[in-house]
Amino acid sequence: MVGSKGNYRLIYGGLRMKKIKNHIDELFKDFPRNHETEMVKQEIIQNLEEKVFYLMDQGKEEEDAINKAIVEFGDIEDLKQELDVKEPEKRNMSRLNLEFSLWGSGLIIAFFIFINIYYTPHTIWAIYPIFAILWWPLAMYFVWSRKKWSE
Amino acid sequence: MVRSDIIRGHLDSIILRLILEKDRYGYEISQEISLRTNNRFQIKEATLYAVFQRLEKKEIIEAYFGDVSHGGKRKYYRITPLGKAYLNELVKEWSEVKEIIDLFMEGLE
Repeated sequence: MVGSKGNYRLIYGGLRMKKIKNHIDELFKDFPRNHETEMVKQEIIQNLEEKVFYLMDQGKEEEDAINKAIVEFGDIEDLKQELDVKEPEKRNMSRLNLEFSLWGSGLIIAFFIFINIYYTPHTIWAIYPIFAILWWPLAMYFVWSRKKWSE
Repeated sequence: MVRSDIIRGHLDSIILRLILEKDRYGYEISQEISLRTNNRFQIKEATLYAVFQRLEKKEIIEAYFGDVSHGGKRKYYRITPLGKAYLNELVKEWSEVKEIIDLFMEGLE
């Protein structure tokens, strides 16, 4: 049943949700971004919401209720330790990939140039496959530089 | 208010006991703790969720989504058979600890 108070809540719930969510986002900003963290955040937001409703039922003003819920939340360090499980460091292969692509494409390009010059010295066609092959190291360079940025 | 660092080592027991009685969700647990201790001990939410995480990883409790309330699905926790065994151990351990500390604390005051 949604009474008039319920309607009020439905309308303003979004706003309140936002304040709690912002606060939790702020608390979690140094956390590893993954599914697990997201799930915990959802759970915490949901439970804080519930606390706010409870406090409001006890006669607290919405503003007070939110602030109380937020203040009482406590220190996030423990949770950080739980969620900050050091994943076995994935070795960064992007550099090796880039090097491999450079050597590989270099060899193939040399091969095309050789065939072109040796068999048909008067028609330049090798430029076409070379152009296509260059996408390989280019893509690897992209992956490599993106990794570097995200570190 | 009791110093929370003394209770800290027994949070597992407190939370498991409450979940053993029936499946519960986060806020319900923190409320129940305040209620039963008559506000002498209040668990911080941040601590509570850290304990959930740890116990869930050790498969002492498991979570599932229950009914919808106030715009979100409640996440309930239930105790696993492993959790029950663990709680049993904690109970034994606690009675031993209590005896030991009592050896030194009783008769004073």
